[in-house]
Amino acid sequence: MAANYKKVNRGVTLTLWERLYVMEVLRGIIITGRHFIRNWVSTFRSYMSGNPAGRGIMTIYYPEEKPVLPEAYRGRPMLVRAVDGKEKCVACGLCEVACPAKCITIVGAMRPDGTRYPETYMLDGAVCIFCGLCEEACPEEAIVMTHNYEGLVEYDRSQMLYGKEALLVPEEKLKGRLDYIRRRMYNKCNY
Amino acid sequence: MENKNRLDLNTELMVLNMGPSHPATHGTVRFFLKLDGEKVVHMETEIGYLHRGFEKHCENGTWTQAFPFTDRLNYCSAPQNNVAYALAVEKLLGVTDKVPPRAVYIRTIMCELSRMADHYTNLGAATLELGALTAFIYFVEARELTWDLIESVCGARLTSNYIRVGGLASDLPEGFAARVKEVFAKNRVFWDEFDKLLTHNRIFLDRMRDTGGISRADAISYAFTGPCLRAAGVEYDVRKAFPYLAYRDVDFDIPIGTTGDNFDRYLVRMEEIKQSMRIVEQCLLQLPSGPININDASVRNPSKEDGKTYMESMIFHFKNTIEGIQVPKGEAYVATEGTNGEVGFYLVSQGGGKPWKCRVRPPCFALTQAIGHMCTGHYLSDIIPTFDMINLIGGECDR
Ligand code: SF4
Ligand code: SF4
Repeated sequence: MAANYKKVNRGVTLTLWERLYVMEVLRGIIITGRHFIRNWVSTFRSYMSGNPAGRGIMTIYYPEEKPVLPEAYRGRPMLVRAVDGKEKCVACGLCEVACPAKCITIVGAMRPDGTRYPETYMLDGAVCIFCGLCEEACPEEAIVMTHNYEGLVEYDRSQMLYGKEALLVPEEKLKGRLDYIRRRMYNKCNY
Repeated sequence: MENKNRLDLNTELMVLNMGPSHPATHGTVRFFLKLDGEKVVHMETEIGYLHRGFEKHCENGTWTQAFPFTDRLNYCSAPQNNVAYALAVEKLLGVTDKVPPRAVYIRTIMCELSRMADHYTNLGAATLELGALTAFIYFVEARELTWDLIESVCGARLTSNYIRVGGLASDLPEGFAARVKEVFAKNRVFWDEFDKLLTHNRIFLDRMRDTGGISRADAISYAFTGPCLRAAGVEYDVRKAFPYLAYRDVDFDIPIGTTGDNFDRYLVRMEEIKQSMRIVEQCLLQLPSGPININDASVRNPSKEDGKTYMESMIFHFKNTIEGIQVPKGEAYVATEGTNGEVGFYLVSQGGGKPWKCRVRPPCFALTQAIGHMCTGHYLSDIIPTFDMINLIGGECDR
């Protein structure tokens, strides 16, 4: 088990065939032509069989088709709304200090029953770098990175300041992500 | 006779500005050229257009908060920067040996995957700038497949933010090894096709061979590292000279060139892609099971259940997040083999939760300073392949 140094072969000598050049152009056309025909046939066949997604080529027709995102994908950070309709967030402010871009601003308040909640929660979408450190810091699993990547751009930066109402998402919609972070990221068997 | 002709034709030296945003140079850099006809007589390089104050940024946040910033150094191979930074912090903390083996192996896998992706980008972009669009598209497809793998682990293609002090952010997803197998099979086909299209191509050879060369001694005195140094025939690779991560336990070849010209650099990079695949495959075979984070409450984040159940865990979680990991006073330098060369982090801690100084040793800074030396006396068109093979990444060079 070791690494070895090995000389590369730079003495590439061209045969007469390769130096003739025209032949090489033809060979290049055969390589690229093969790709063209393969893509063309597979596209044609997949449309005929009514399964356009199985084209076998890399590109997709966005926005008619959407990319399949991996579970780990970090899209826009969103707040979790618990089943009873209240925010899960307790306004502890950990995400605020954990955020390297300093894009979260929270003002906390107390409900009549003594539980804390964020009176205002501002996330500046124009500044956020989608790092996921807020999700990691939150002790209440109240802010998670969703698979939401659409509508993140605006014509005006002031419209990218998301308030609490724009950020809150019902918990059942985030089941997948919450399950993922419990299973893969913050599991007890990780240390 | 010749002089007389020159006078008749009135050839003066022409001064030319190439860049800062020239379509044939990927990266924002300005070349100041003096040309005699098409020959470069004098060349100066001006960098700094992408300076974002990375080092100062890091000093304003906690140790953990610097990870997303390191992603943005060499953005084609973000996990490698993450690893280099994490290793430096771990050295300061003195916990290098306590990082669990599974984390070490996964780090190695991520490093090699990103090395592949970076070489694909570099070689693809180089051929694009030499006019071979098709080969570029094939390597971009291979790179996309590799980045899909990275995305499935890290959650993002470029800004991975995956490595943490003492471990990783998350475990590998289920079925990762099978997916790697699938992707590598496809990537090998693309590699062969790329090779067929270029390595015996007369135009490509004419533009790459014997251009932009640098001698062994000059490469060393310009502080070259990485593929460009090895292309000049110097046997130096941090992975072998100072093994870190799991590189001691895997078998791989390190390609070495002879003359240090662009063609050697191309061949070295092509071979490195293959060797990276070998390393990843071996690592996946040997991948141990077990935890992925260090078992030290003052370094890692507690699990969410623990944080809700135990007061101590909760306190550590708050302290680590708000004040940052407490790193003892001292300084450390860790060098790793990045895609372009030696990526090193020199950290100084005054105790407490923030780096006092975070200095990066970017490989392409040293490479870029020699570009004038390599191009003087050659033709103007030789600047393009030389610049491509240097692989200047603005984010890393200018920080
Ligand atoms: S994802 Fe990162 S930048 Fe965005 S809000 Fe969370 S911590 Fe801040
Ligand atoms: S860390 Fe979680 S609970 Fe605390 S303020 Fe942020 S979102 Fe709310």
